Amino acid sequence: MERRQFLKNALSVLVPGVGVTWLSLRPGSPRAARAAWVRPPGALLEAEFLARCIRCQRCADACPNRAIVALGVSAGGGMEGTPAIQPRRQACMLCNRVKGQYLRCTEACPSGALQPVRKDPEEIQQKVAMGKAVLDKGLCYSYNSWTCGACYRACPFPGRAMTLGLWERPEVKAEGCVGCGACERACIRYPQAIRVRPRAA
Amino acid sequence: MTARQRRHGWIQALRRLVQIGTVCLVVGLALASLYAHYRAARALDEMRAVEGPVGSGLRVVDRLVSGLDDPRAFLDGFKGSLWSMRLAGWDVTDPLAALEVIATSKVLHPPLLLAAAVPVLLALLLGRVFCSWVCPGYLLFEAGGKLRRLLRWVELPPAEVRFSYRNKYLFLAVGLVVAAITARPLFALIYPPAVVSRLVHAWVFGTALTGMLVVLGLILAFEVFVSPRWFCRSLCPGGALLGVLGRGRPVRVRLEPHRCTHCRRCEPVCEQGLNPVTESSGMECDNCGRCVRACPEDALAYRVGIQRMRASDGPGRAGSLAAALFWGALALAVLAPTPARAHHILGLPHYSYKENYPQVPTLEYPASAGPYDVLLTSYPGKPPPGEPANLAFYIKNRATGEPYGQPVTVRVLQTFTFGRNRELQPPIRIEPFDRVHKLTVTFDREGEYVVELAMEVEGRSEVIPFRMVVGDPSSAASVLAAVGGGLAVFLIGVRAVRIKRRRRQAQEAGA
Repeated sequence: MERRQFLKNALSVLVPGVGVTWLSLRPGSPRAARAAWVRPPGALLEAEFLARCIRCQRCADACPNRAIVALGVSAGGGMEGTPAIQPRRQACMLCNRVKGQYLRCTEACPSGALQPVRKDPEEIQQKVAMGKAVLDKGLCYSYNSWTCGACYRACPFPGRAMTLGLWERPEVKAEGCVGCGACERACIRYPQAIRVRPRAA
Repeated sequence: MTARQRRHGWIQALRRLVQIGTVCLVVGLALASLYAHYRAARALDEMRAVEGPVGSGLRVVDRLVSGLDDPRAFLDGFKGSLWSMRLAGWDVTDPLAALEVIATSKVLHPPLLLAAAVPVLLALLLGRVFCSWVCPGYLLFEAGGKLRRLLRWVELPPAEVRFSYRNKYLFLAVGLVVAAITARPLFALIYPPAVVSRLVHAWVFGTALTGMLVVLGLILAFEVFVSPRWFCRSLCPGGALLGVLGRGRPVRVRLEPHRCTHCRRCEPVCEQGLNPVTESSGMECDNCGRCVRACPEDALAYRVGIQRMRASDGPGRAGSLAAALFWGALALAVLAPTPARAHHILGLPHYSYKENYPQVPTLEYPASAGPYDVLLTSYPGKPPPGEPANLAFYIKNRATGEPYGQPVTVRVLQTFTFGRNRELQPPIRIEPFDRVHKLTVTFDREGEYVVELAMEVEGRSEVIPFRMVVGDPSSAASVLAAVGGGLAVFLIGVRAVRIKRRRRQAQEAGA
């Protein structure tokens, strides 16, 4: 009887424990497993970020542009509830014309997974690395006999993150690009010719 | 009924009010955040057109704050959920979240510790009152207890398996160690306040309801059919933590032994399944006060005072064991080395361009055929029925970057879980236009579709299917679940009627 009691109790802890561990570590769908995500500004490196984020979604609440959304279960193990930016839907506007001293999501984070970033161009350049924009010249209108330049007009760091050549042909300058995704959001080509590649983990 | 009992009846009503108020607060905070978004986007006109309960909630918030001088600044003071919130400008975070993040990241973040201080202080003074007065999971599982009573009433008594109270300390301790080793927080996936908070958030913001609903459902089902109040008593890591913190709480339910008549009326009302006469001062008691109300002799009462725990205060040895386990695990969790880059160990490869870039409103579906990369994009990604959806196939040679120049053939089929596929329109041949093969499809009905792309690759014909969802079809699984649930209710009803009839016949035969 004693042994049966022990087994019963051990099972009642093990089953949920293993279940939860599996939920947080399962590889997810092949698509999800290959995914990297654009994290909000000021985010720590991915592994550290996942350890530090408590999945409270307060950065999503704080974002004035509703650019930050929480990922769902389908995003794969351990991703549930973590914040990500999907620039095509809504890009990070780096809290342009929003009151306050800091980028709001970085200020809202209770656990330090997002490090505070002051709203100063130099500090943003230095601390924010959500990803880098990558241009597909095969798709870009300006490289294919139309002139467009929509991405350049949207860029918060024109000249620094992106330059414009003859016939409005954009060139991304990786060293100045913070990965806000405004260019991707602005791109009128479909499928879009410029995208943010999330920072490699 | 004594005057004290009546007074404690009011206290119980107050407890229920606080519980329901907490749920309202969680919904209200989510609504306030959504409202702040609309306000920031200067889209209050758009907001007024939002329908349903969320729309009415938003309008209530609008009426409440629009008279203020600076509604944005006011709303900034109220953000978050039960897992971590800002209340009147003060950050409050669940101690379990703080503890777990210390274990996973090995970093002490002072603002986080400060935010956890209020609930910790509350637990030190009042014990596990968060459980019995605030936690929405507790409210839900209390309702589960009522369901058990209903089952008993239809004479289908559910099983009563009991589990040890110590399990939860073990769960907390092992969970912390596992979280420290894998560097991923675990408890947020099962801890009801966090789960409920996220569910409410998803509902208000209209994002996909997370699979967390399943977790809550499983726990509730287990409690209703197998073990009463199993989660709070035997598994909840948050309850375990608060229990450890509240061991020396000055406010306890205490017994005046000379008044107790051993009527045992306090036993069945205890939500934690304790015997209040012997165990109400121990660390399992959550100070809910139901036993105080049930006691007709005023023997049980809230009393304030420092008192050493006695061995007779319930599972005292279990408590010491639990505390030892807990502190040991915490030390281990903080000291245990975290494997750097845990995700590499899991074999998640690097991101590669254009394979799976996550997009919500535009669906992107990557595939490959021979030397070609194929990308289907659909705008909108989940088209409503009856409205045109723009599909584009971008087919590019992986090596040379040259787009595919030949025409492709596209078929659109509606698929069914049961039954044959339906062809929406005859196959269409599409010439490339400006490097992309484009097609506009109007899906006429809600449901699941397959877009089949046929193309010539190196002299062979390749067919690539892309799955698409139109509208919000109820999936086969949810239909099955509804049917199964209905069947179960029907069977229970039938069985109950039969049992009643047999009893009556037996009585008549006896008479």
